[in-house]
Amino acid sequence: MIELKNIEKYYSSKGIKHYVLRHVTTTIKQGEFVSIMGPSGSGKSTLLNILGMLEEPTYGTFEFLGEDVTSLNERKRIELYRNHIGFVFQAYHLIDEMTVYENIEAPLLYKKVGSSERASRIANLLDKFNIVAKKDLFPNQLSGGQQQLVGIARALATQPSIILADEPTGNLQSAQAEEIMQLFQKLNKEEGITIIQVTHSEKNATYGNRILNIQDGVIKEDSPTQAPQMGGVV
Amino acid sequence: MFKLNLKIAWRNLFKNKVYAAINIGGLAIGLTAFVLLILFVNHETSYDKWSPDLKNIYQLREYHDYSTPDNQPHWMQVNDSRMAALVRDKIPQFKYVTRIDQDWGDGFSVKLANADPAIVDHFRDTDSLFFKVFPYQFLQGDRFTAINKPNTIVLKQSLAVKLFGTVKVLNKTIKLLMWRDDPGTLMTITGVVADVNMPESVKFNAIIHTGNIDKDPEQINNFRHCEIYASASGKIDITQVNRTLHKIYVDYKKASFVKRKITYADYYKNGKKPGLKIIPLQKVYATPSFDVSWVDRIKPIVAISIFLLLVSVINFVNLATAQSVQRAKEVGVKKVLGAYKKQLVTQFLLESALQTLAALFICIILVEVLLPVFSNHFDVKLSFWRSEQLLNISFQLLGLFVLITFMAGFYPAWILSKYNPVKVLKGNYESGFKGIAMRNGLVVLQFIIAVTLIIGIGVMYQQTNFVANKDLGFNRDKLVNISTYYRDGDLIGERIKKITGVKYVATTTQLMGNTFNVPSEITYNNQEHSVNTVTVTMDALPALGVQVLSGRIFSLEYKKDTVNTAVLNETAAKLLGKNLVGKQFKEGENSFQIVGVIKDYNNEGFDKAVLPTVYRVTHLGGMASTNNLLVRFDSDNYKPALMAVEAEWKKIYPDFPMIYTSVEDAFQKSMEATHKQMQIIVLFSVISVVLSLLGLFALSTFMAKRRTKEIAIRKILGASNLEIINMLNRSFLILVILANLISWPIAFIITKKWLGGFAYRIDMPFWPFAIATITSVIIAVFTVSLQARKAAVNNPVDALKYE
Repeated sequence: MIELKNIEKYYSSKGIKHYVLRHVTTTIKQGEFVSIMGPSGSGKSTLLNILGMLEEPTYGTFEFLGEDVTSLNERKRIELYRNHIGFVFQAYHLIDEMTVYENIEAPLLYKKVGSSERASRIANLLDKFNIVAKKDLFPNQLSGGQQQLVGIARALATQPSIILADEPTGNLQSAQAEEIMQLFQKLNKEEGITIIQVTHSEKNATYGNRILNIQDGVIKEDSPTQAPQMGGVV
Repeated sequence: MFKLNLKIAWRNLFKNKVYAAINIGGLAIGLTAFVLLILFVNHETSYDKWSPDLKNIYQLREYHDYSTPDNQPHWMQVNDSRMAALVRDKIPQFKYVTRIDQDWGDGFSVKLANADPAIVDHFRDTDSLFFKVFPYQFLQGDRFTAINKPNTIVLKQSLAVKLFGTVKVLNKTIKLLMWRDDPGTLMTITGVVADVNMPESVKFNAIIHTGNIDKDPEQINNFRHCEIYASASGKIDITQVNRTLHKIYVDYKKASFVKRKITYADYYKNGKKPGLKIIPLQKVYATPSFDVSWVDRIKPIVAISIFLLLVSVINFVNLATAQSVQRAKEVGVKKVLGAYKKQLVTQFLLESALQTLAALFICIILVEVLLPVFSNHFDVKLSFWRSEQLLNISFQLLGLFVLITFMAGFYPAWILSKYNPVKVLKGNYESGFKGIAMRNGLVVLQFIIAVTLIIGIGVMYQQTNFVANKDLGFNRDKLVNISTYYRDGDLIGERIKKITGVKYVATTTQLMGNTFNVPSEITYNNQEHSVNTVTVTMDALPALGVQVLSGRIFSLEYKKDTVNTAVLNETAAKLLGKNLVGKQFKEGENSFQIVGVIKDYNNEGFDKAVLPTVYRVTHLGGMASTNNLLVRFDSDNYKPALMAVEAEWKKIYPDFPMIYTSVEDAFQKSMEATHKQMQIIVLFSVISVVLSLLGLFALSTFMAKRRTKEIAIRKILGASNLEIINMLNRSFLILVILANLISWPIAFIITKKWLGGFAYRIDMPFWPFAIATITSVIIAVFTVSLQARKAAVNNPVDALKYE
């Protein structure tokens, strides 16, 4: 699904190149649940941004679904966002002026999904995540965990093939974090959605089936996780 | 999508109530001023547009100096009546040419069978062709034959209703008295024309055909001046016609000079030149003969209302860009959810459209409320909903709406939609914070406008004060001007003189509110001088209370005063030389002795310089037939005496009511235009200054908010509250001072030009500049400090907890 070949990313200031990523080459297949790990400043967020096409690599090629997407125009990129990619953020990034319902609806509106189809998809998601009662509340009326649930529901609304999550549990208490990770695992297992997450936590990484360890912009280790833990999943 | 965007817009407005109020309220005020101006301009440009046929009507203009206020030649609306025949004969494109007498005096007395006489103004005497040229709609009578016979009258609908209560008045007669001892003429009503709801430059309540102006004067040296209008059957080439007109005019003048025994070169010297042209009727109102046209008159107000609108738009832009931080996350999220930049721009434009619409709505209410006051104050009949041009106005409003939406909304929308999602979603707002330079620029621009306006107000105030307190050179109180002709010895004058409380009865051709200047050439010491001549009666100069500088003024003791003496004003004396009393000057063949010099007195506004003037009692220099009967009372409470005068008048002239005005009123009227203009300028200026400050207030709030974290850190590092306030003030203060530096020269140039329009003016004062700067700095510091203090006294822990 994703092919990275020799990705480099550097910023030059005063003639000196500061490398963020070097020689990153990897393949991520459909249905994988990849956790990118590494210390602060190692380049893991940049890698995720490149995967999300929010940043362009300085060098190298990036193929997404067999298509070269290393540098895309806005229209093409947005087409991918609308149809294939869902984002989940550490700070949830729900739109404060929209209700839960409207937040989930927003991507569907951009995708120009018909109104009845929209209603049924949102109803489905609300139901699945147990937040039906909260649909008319605004984000600031929800707890962090609930907000992240809405954030994930929003990411799933367009039925993407891949979810990119940047420290999705970074702002959450451990119980809530666990709940979110189990949800990810379930989505990955049952619906075959590819998930790539950036995380600090060893524990969170174990929910996935592959860990990319980055240090100083270089992939130091690419290993499968131990036997997947299914404990606690509903 | 649209609905959701609308919802978000609404929720955002609601969340930032204060800023929304400042935005929308400010915009509404700016729009209101602008819409009122548009309505005024609509009114002024709608002259003579009430029928499509008016396109083919032209007014004749002759270049001459007869009866001009400054004795200089101008393109005058009144022409030698002989021009009508000339144009009719020589310009075949014109179907009809009509002569219309000038709108004389204060009106005629209308006497209906059993009713008291009443003064009605705007009776226009025309030849029989008026309605062939002007396409008025006849409610009664026949357009093409109504005024064929002499002594016929056609009423405007409104006058017919006023006099008779109906328009069915055909063949009734009314008696018309044109002056006080006119025995009256019975006029037969032969038509009633519909009122026109749009302004007309040929204004009339009734068209009369007396037959007086059907023929030109027989004597070649006698002239009748009247307005001349011609109608063409289709489009004509004005330049071409004017070229022909000029040629035939020169030929005509040459031929007439031969008969009058003058030479062409003698007549056209000192800047005088022959000229005759046509202008389209629809341009007549915008090109008055010598007054300032309305376009020039309202230029400053146009400028200020544009500034006002600009200030409110700037507020809008500034607040929107400052607020954009709050929306940055929304933009970032929407971008990764799959929104095009274009969609985001549309969304934010929609938001400004929403606010503009709200502002426009408030503006329409405000305009409705203010329109009567505005119309009353500026003496125009403006209409909005009931306007003939409602469709036109709707388009203008729509245009304004679109324009404002784009002006106010586009920049913030563009800034917002440019946010980079990676930076914004990382919470890195500072680097995503765009448009600071632009915003600072706009604040400076706003303050340049505000400071310039404050300086302008200051200079205008000082000038107005100066004029109001300036000595006119004569005593204007206790002085009443009865609108009638007068010669020493007239019955009415003798009767009035006998009334207790009356000090002088006199007449002059030059009086505030009604001046009839007669230019002349005099020779003194073999040198020729152009002067203005004024004919007075013996008592006129004492009645005016002029100040004698040397010699004496006219007096009954000196018999020769009615023959060949003259009094000069100071300006004329300066022109002639020194020690003039007792000297002689010549005017043509006649010579006059100078008996005295008086101080200049102003009989026009202070924008015009006093002309060098020669005063004489004799008839040689012109007739005292201007409608000025001057009565000076000897006590401040002259009401009873004035009533006695009126009673006396009624006894002698029962059929012609007395028309009079106090000279004080005439003076106030001469100042009125300047006063009203000043009032509106002050009002608009104050509003725009207030709006600028509101904008600054809101902006500083945002700045303080944006720097919450910085302030908290500084406080932890040991900054005092005062230091924090100073820090926040500094950035704004630099902008305000910069704006002051820029506005000084601008204000200097503008006010200097304005002062240049006055013949009597103050020197450029320094104080308004200093006051404007000090005020703007103090108010800006105060405004910013209000917000800065709030930010400074906050507990830093609260601010830092967020991160």
